[in-house]
Amino acid sequence: MYAMWMQTKAETLKVLRNPYYVFWSLAMPILFYFLFTKIINTGVDDKQQWHKHYLMSMTIFSIMGSSIMTLGIRLVQERTEGWSRFMRITPLSEYSYFIAKMMAQTVIHILSIMVIFAAGIIINGVSLSFQEWLLSGLWILAGSLPFLALGTLIGTMKRVDTASGISNILYMALAIMGGMWMPIEILPRTMQAIAKWLPSYNLGNGAWEIISGRYPEWFNVLILSGYFFLFVILSKYVRKKQEAI
Amino acid sequence: MNDVVTFYNVTKTYKDQKAVNEVSFSIQSGEIVAILGPNGAGKSTTIMLMLGLLEPSLGLVQLFTHSPKEKLVRERIGAMLQEVSVIDRLKVKEILELFRSYYSNPLSLSELIKLSGMSTELLNQRAEKLSGGQKRMLNFALSLAGNPDLLFFDEPTVGMDIKARANFWNTIRILKDKGKTIIFTTHYLQEADDVAERILLLHDGKLVADGHPSEIKKKITKQSVSFLASTDLTLDQFRSLPHVEDVYLEEGRIYLITNDTDTVLFSLIKSNSSAEISEIQIKQGRLDEVFEQLTLSKEAQ
Ligand SMILES: Nc1ncnc2c1ncn2[C@@H]1O[C@H](COP(=O)(O)OP(=O)(O)OP(=O)(O)O)[C@@H](O)[C@H]1O
Ligand SMILES: [Mg+2]
Repeated sequence: MYAMWMQTKAETLKVLRNPYYVFWSLAMPILFYFLFTKIINTGVDDKQQWHKHYLMSMTIFSIMGSSIMTLGIRLVQERTEGWSRFMRITPLSEYSYFIAKMMAQTVIHILSIMVIFAAGIIINGVSLSFQEWLLSGLWILAGSLPFLALGTLIGTMKRVDTASGISNILYMALAIMGGMWMPIEILPRTMQAIAKWLPSYNLGNGAWEIISGRYPEWFNVLILSGYFFLFVILSKYVRKKQEAI
Repeated sequence: MNDVVTFYNVTKTYKDQKAVNEVSFSIQSGEIVAILGPNGAGKSTTIMLMLGLLEPSLGLVQLFTHSPKEKLVRERIGAMLQEVSVIDRLKVKEILELFRSYYSNPLSLSELIKLSGMSTELLNQRAEKLSGGQKRMLNFALSLAGNPDLLFFDEPTVGMDIKARANFWNTIRILKDKGKTIIFTTHYLQEADDVAERILLLHDGKLVADGHPSEIKKKITKQSVSFLASTDLTLDQFRSLPHVEDVYLEEGRIYLITNDTDTVLFSLIKSNSSAEISEIQIKQGRLDEVFEQLTLSKEAQ
């Protein structure tokens, strides 16, 4: 148990000291938030609603980044540098190592959510009820699971270059198509139809519902769970195949 | 007796190449064993098999009569692998504390620093900023974190400076006195000769010799008796002496190649030419000659 706690602490520190994390998951979302609510006139009628809406979008954008990019690339690095192999001769089981990593990611996500929410309050004086803050935070935290699973799947790749290339594309595609940068209503019809089936849009939609005084739709929960199981099963399958060699 | 390491009829095949080929040995508690052999002989593969990081294609590998993968075995072993890698973005002290937390009876931080020879100024440095040799020392400290009974070092001193190297072997002697079992590979034959009580000589995946350094030298290197002789002696008259395998002249000395220098010496002295020879020397053969022979025979193929 002590080992698990120490490992979680170490993993958390490692992410915090990772410039990728600070840039992609904190600086960029806050910068975008500032740009699209303060500088660039998006021509929305209900300014306050837009400030809330875009705050949710950017928080999700941040969480997606640390799940897909930071975690995925990290896992590949640890394997290619022989570090994961070295861990296998210590008494810490692979399972505990993995759980510690996920707990560290959760700590990091809580931190990101709080920092970006705080940025929303500071930049635009966004005001939500306590319940809305809490519920949207928890929704995003839980909704990060399919993205963590996707990061783990990317983590099974052989080379760091491939992993960072592919995770970059997936990250951007999921963010844009899921309406994180701009509401999907401005996208062409076919793209909108596809977006409804993406994990990013479904995570976003749940949060947008919450800040509009409603609850996430069952469909959102269903799609996110579906992707979670899909990615978990896929990465388990790939790992099994790799170990067989 | 309970073996610390059991390696029974082990073969490891990569595609069609046998990196380790039907190798058997067992190691007892407290032994210091050097695994020696030219590049590609299968040393690292043997270490990885013992650590349970590779699965044998055939045969049985056990540590403390259990599978190397069991937690109870991992509690008792430590290792430094050939490839240097350290966790990045953590300070040396954080890494050491992290590793200590994995084991139920770890060594104290100060003991780890003392044994590994790291200076305390390094404690607050980020691991990725260490030099190659300092990274080795950190890995050495990590291998000792759990106060293990059995230690594996794959080419431990590569990249260490003279001081670090001396400290490393000094610590190995301390560990030996504590009754630890130590297995290391090296290219520095002197190290194997100085430190190990037993050498496993690998060549092309096969175990070609297993024994005390002096036995190995005797068995494999050519020993010779040489002397200066007056000019009217011919080489041929020595060829008939018992146990002499070959005779040649080099820089005025006559060399008799043999695997039994004692017998040759006696028969030389008893022979009627004994008055005409002087400055007799016996050469036992050095370990690096063994090595050279193996390497040469490999290149010749
Ligand atoms: N992953 C691998 N895939 C295929 N062949 C391999 C692999 N690892 C090692 N080999 C081959 O197995 C043989 C033994 O390799 P090994 O690394 O055990 O040698 P070594 O004695 O440690 O050499 P060195 O002194 O260079 O470290 C070599 O011929 C090598 O090419
Ligand atoms: Mg090697």
